[in-house]
Amino acid sequence: ENLPFFITCLVVLKIIKHYQEEGQGSEVVQGVLLGLVVEDRLEITNCFPFPQHTEDDVDFDEVQYQMEMMRSLRHVNIDHLHVGWYQSTYYGSFVSRALLDSQFSYQHAIEESVVLIYDPIKTAQGSLCLKAYRLTPKLMEICKEKDFSPEALKKACIGYEHMLEEVPIVIKNSHLINVLLLDLQEKSTVADKPELLNLSSSNHLEKSLQLLMDRVDGMSQEIVKYNTYCRNLTKQQQQKQQYLQRRQQENTQRQSRGEPPLPEEDINKMFKPPQAPPRMDTLLIAGQVNNYCQNIKAFTSQNLGKLFMAEALQGHSS
Amino acid sequence: MSRFFATGSDSESEESSSADEITPKKRIVCCPLRFRFEELTNIIKTIRNAMKIRDMSKCLEEFEQLYRAFLKSKTIVDKEGVPQFYIRLLADLEDYLNQLWEDKEGKKKMNKNNAKALSTLRQKIRKYNKDFETEISSYKEVLNCSPNESESEGDEESEDWGSDSVDSGGESEDNEGEAASLAVVFLKKYVFFNLEHKKMEQVDEEADEEGEGEEGGWEKVKGGVPLVKEKPKMFAKGTEINNAVVIKKLNEILQARGKKGTDRSAQIELLHALAGISNENNLGEGILVKIKFNIIASLYDYNTNLAAFMKAEMWKKCLECIDELLDILFENSNMFIGENIAEDSENLAISDQPFRVRGCILTLVERMDEEFTKIMQNTDPHSQEYVDNLKDEGRVCGIIDRLLQYLESKGSTEEVCRVYLRRIMHTYYKFDYKAHRRSLGLQGETKSEQDQEESEGEDSAIIMDRLCKFIYAKDRTDRIRTCAILCHIYHHALHSRWYQARDLMLMSHLQDNIQHADPPVQILYNRTMVQLGICAFRRGMIKDAHNALLDIQSSGRAKELLGQGLLMRNMQERNAEQEKIEKRRQVPFHMHINLELLECVYLVSAMLLEIPYMAAHEFDARRRMISKQFHHQLRVGERQPLLGPPESMREHVVAASKAMKMGDWKTCHSFIINEKMNSKVWDLFPEAQRVREMLVRKIQEESLRTYLFTYSSVYDSISMETLSEMFELELPTVHSIISKMIINEELMASLDQPTQTVVMHRTEPTSLQNMTLQLAEKLGGLVENNERVFDLKQGVYGGYFNRGTRTRPRNLIKDHFQIKINCIINVVFS
Repeated sequence: ENLPFFITCLVVLKIIKHYQEEGQGSEVVQGVLLGLVVEDRLEITNCFPFPQHTEDDVDFDEVQYQMEMMRSLRHVNIDHLHVGWYQSTYYGSFVSRALLDSQFSYQHAIEESVVLIYDPIKTAQGSLCLKAYRLTPKLMEICKEKDFSPEALKKACIGYEHMLEEVPIVIKNSHLINVLLLDLQEKSTVADKPELLNLSSSNHLEKSLQLLMDRVDGMSQEIVKYNTYCRNLTKQQQQKQQYLQRRQQENTQRQSRGEPPLPEEDINKMFKPPQAPPRMDTLLIAGQVNNYCQNIKAFTSQNLGKLFMAEALQGHSS
Repeated sequence: MSRFFATGSDSESEESSSADEITPKKRIVCCPLRFRFEELTNIIKTIRNAMKIRDMSKCLEEFEQLYRAFLKSKTIVDKEGVPQFYIRLLADLEDYLNQLWEDKEGKKKMNKNNAKALSTLRQKIRKYNKDFETEISSYKEVLNCSPNESESEGDEESEDWGSDSVDSGGESEDNEGEAASLAVVFLKKYVFFNLEHKKMEQVDEEADEEGEGEEGGWEKVKGGVPLVKEKPKMFAKGTEINNAVVIKKLNEILQARGKKGTDRSAQIELLHALAGISNENNLGEGILVKIKFNIIASLYDYNTNLAAFMKAEMWKKCLECIDELLDILFENSNMFIGENIAEDSENLAISDQPFRVRGCILTLVERMDEEFTKIMQNTDPHSQEYVDNLKDEGRVCGIIDRLLQYLESKGSTEEVCRVYLRRIMHTYYKFDYKAHRRSLGLQGETKSEQDQEESEGEDSAIIMDRLCKFIYAKDRTDRIRTCAILCHIYHHALHSRWYQARDLMLMSHLQDNIQHADPPVQILYNRTMVQLGICAFRRGMIKDAHNALLDIQSSGRAKELLGQGLLMRNMQERNAEQEKIEKRRQVPFHMHINLELLECVYLVSAMLLEIPYMAAHEFDARRRMISKQFHHQLRVGERQPLLGPPESMREHVVAASKAMKMGDWKTCHSFIINEKMNSKVWDLFPEAQRVREMLVRKIQEESLRTYLFTYSSVYDSISMETLSEMFELELPTVHSIISKMIINEELMASLDQPTQTVVMHRTEPTSLQNMTLQLAEKLGGLVENNERVFDLKQGVYGGYFNRGTRTRPRNLIKDHFQIKINCIINVVFS
């Protein structure tokens, strides 16, 4: 059902360039995707970055900048429809509240919009890593309701697996560009990709594990929070029950004595249920942990393969 | 002066007297001044009426009105001066009220409302009259000296005033009553006054009779407490001055003590004069001692406020007096003084019997000591004045010493304990340089004779020992003993006798129950702990030093805890009253412990402990901190965007810590010991050089340990000789440090004796492996937490894991999980 959408080589290069120029380490770069919808299929044909600005210049208006940028692009006859946004990622960490919120507002306004996640580290290792995500309809529903209580999430039957759906990407170029690329390929001096065969793994794994651990800690905290909430709830339930029983006993006594029963009181006012912790964060963390795990898994399997290969090569040469 | 003042024949008043028929209203139009004053006089009239019938509530009511009316006419008053009739009323009213007040019986008869109004009014008027003090007193003067004339002159004039406003039939009566008091103001001529002045004495004598005989309302104005007004003669001429008379006089003077309105300085002078008289007449020491006691007591009385401190002159006088008193006491061995001697069993006269005088010299000296502390607290510590005041400390000590001698022969053990404690309190915080020099074997050869002489004296350690031991043995009150122990420990610590100090501290068990002591003792305890910590540091016992200082430093309120200054806090936490109390607890500046030194000692000890510890436990999941404050300083250092060369003491320590982390002991050394740090901290120690040597040694050792912890993973083996060269330590020391580390299982290695090398076992996991282990631990925790949620939901026995396979115990599941994790780890390790 998820039709792949097309993306031009120009966009990919622009995103990569953007990160290389402005992104550093764990810093994240973002930008706007432009394109159009052709027969319920999305085509992304261009993009431009959000400018970096410090906290100091408060009078900088992002919206204004975007509008102006789009207007200027229209003047030069470029597709100017806002169809999504892109973001770089640091070792696969992108599942966050901020992403959820902004993607929700995009998707709410333009149904087809996607978010492109670009992983510069993997790309640097030799394989382009660009992924497109959309929020699932279920999650859209929940976000619309803005109800993140445990009950609501339970009713919606949503797990971390069902939060984001990946949309396949097809990089498609015009024929002219294809011709140019072929031409370039012949002229190119760096034909082989030695990065692919890099054997060192501990650095990458350490970073990933660090991030993973951080999220696991977060998860633990959330669970503890939820645990205390549950305990408080049951405790209060018991108190409520006791209170009601006592009330009833007293009333029966009063009846036997011929006195009027005690007036009804608002039981909910006396026992305010404790505030339930929002569960959305837990879901997001779970999603992120899942993401890290996938990354690590992919990385280790690749690396194991490489190691075996290296061993074989060594045996062969000796 | 206004035209209303003593100018009866003024045209104005003439006019008013002739203008009887003119209605008040018309007058308003023509002159606001007149209108205002008329309003005032009207009210005054009512007040006087009320006074006559003793209706106090009415009086009060009217007085308030009067006050308001007077405020309204402020502009006019400013221009014209305060009208005389107003002053007159105020003076009269006050006298009248005082008279009523004194009249106890009449007061009893009064009903409740009236009595209440009386007291309110009395207070009000007293306060109010302060603003008009000069006017009232000048009025009273006039009144005093001219009662004769009052009647004839006054009658006419007052009539004028009265008829001005009052048109009722009762007028004549009123005037009659007022006449006397009104009269004085309207003395026609100043000449009168002069004339009268000459006859003053005569008049004075007659005043009473006349006042009573001629007019009912007449009342002589009292001049406050009569004794004090001017310097009176003590005794009538020709009185034979003997014991009885002097004592009577003394009691007379003392009666005024503590009463409001007594001039305290005059009282002191009186007592001095009395002492002089008794001296002149050779009445014997008994009476002199008695008077001296009272002089000192009234000197202390001079300040009614507890927070205020004695003036310099008072203080000097006090010291002299006490000295003299002690002189007398020493000279007369047949004199008994004590607070338990009853007033009537005193024997002050010269006779065969010994003197017996009531009074406690010890209390006086103690009070003097407290006053001294107060003076020091209230002097700016950076001024010359402070130094001058501090010079008195010698005198205070001298007095205490003399008292100590006196009491040792005469006092009870309890008193001796008290005076011993005083002595201790003046000794414990002073470093005994003489003894120190002597112990170093440096007899002051180059010193002058005087110094030599001084150094002959007893060592303060011996004195402390003797005094404290006496107190330990004899004292019955817990407080004195506690203080003595603390001072003793402090003194030991100050002189680097660490083991004595520590043993005493441990034996006293003060640490267990000090929180029940009163704040001054707690402050003393804190001071002692800090001194103990610093002592441990000097002796190279870093861990002890750190432990002793931890409590004080970790709170971040060292200044407050040591009583060396108040922290800025908002008023919610502390009101003005509390602040005053806290201020009184402050330790005088010359007894302060240097806070920077304290912090530096603490931070350096923390560095020496924490850096190797951090290096050893780099990969531990739950790393505990030894010193939070040290970590805080490190973080502050890290947050610095630009790292310049260190300036402050803290920056020096942080920079040194960083160097130490890398095992670079030379840099660390240069950061800890350099000129800046020397002048700021290390030179403050009496044995600076020894401390510095100790520090260098410690830095070398700990750097070596840190180096081994941090870099052992990159070595297969390392030669001990190299290490010894690197850290400039002797080979045996290096050997012992490494052996200790191996024994404590801190370092996974073994020593290879023939080659003198350390062979690493390399069993420590790599950082990646460490992290995976950490992750596994965290995941275990996560699972456990998760299970708890299920337990809660399903009850303990119906948990999630028991649902499908009831027979499967949960532990197995956990194990299963663990195995899975281990698998992952194995994959990573490979």
